[in-house]
Amino acid sequence: METNKEKAKAIVDKAKTKIEKAKKTVRSKVAAAKSPLAPHKLMLLITVVPRSKAEFYLDLLQAFEVNMQLEVSAFGTARKGFGLLESDLEKQALFSVIREDNLPQAVAALEDKFATIRGGKGIACAIPFTSMIGVVAYQFLSNKQ
Amino acid sequence: MAKTTQHEAVFCIVNEGFAEAVMDAAREAGATGGTILHATGTARPDSELTFGVVVQPQKEIVMILVDVSIKDAVLKSLYDAVGLQTAGQGIAFTLPVAEVVGLTPHVKLKEDSDSSENPKEEVKEPQPAHEQDNKAE
Repeated sequence: METNKEKAKAIVDKAKTKIEKAKKTVRSKVAAAKSPLAPHKLMLLITVVPRSKAEFYLDLLQAFEVNMQLEVSAFGTARKGFGLLESDLEKQALFSVIREDNLPQAVAALEDKFATIRGGKGIACAIPFTSMIGVVAYQFLSNKQ
Repeated sequence: MAKTTQHEAVFCIVNEGFAEAVMDAAREAGATGGTILHATGTARPDSELTFGVVVQPQKEIVMILVDVSIKDAVLKSLYDAVGLQTAGQGIAFTLPVAEVVGLTPHVKLKEDSDSSENPKEEVKEPQPAHEQDNKAE
């Protein structure tokens, strides 16, 4: 009896998440349709990943219409002594300029890869641009002509 | 506008060698981990030695993702430990972030029992990492 309840609960949860996703998609499409001429906002996506996997993540993000990426060598701050090697602390910080409407897909892809790739765990967050100057620069960064 | 999350990114720019002091201070306020980037300051145009060699001030940027609820505590801790009045000469600021992924849920360990048994030592001025190494040797 309880297993049936649990199964039913799992199905309901799954349905809810699917509905939420669909709602998001519809909202973004409606917003785009309402203001077709409004420029898309830009975000700075910061991704910190192990140094050996940096190239992979750069390529992954490029698939989301990211035209400018900056790669900076960095170090993690985990305390040594838990079986960590020096190389485990070597990170690469990736700064990518991405259009706001592409961000959810990019983040979802990153989340998926963080969870599945061995030794490829990292973190990512996005900071919104508040202003910029130059039409050509904007067109380049947003990949919109 | 993308949805904002309950996290903020704390950026702390300090003199070279003080990144560990920054992390220690942030950890005291509840932060879990951060990322250290190397950078060069540009604030002093007159930073030239008499030998004609330009010395560029080396800096470290520590980037820490924190929960909004502990943001103020982290900033206060950083200000006290590595603020402009200290040798670290640090400045810290936060930026709102959206769509955070990859953070692992963290349970802050209770250190109350330890601290009650071993009262805190006197607060010392933070030292750059390389000086600490020399002292250890």
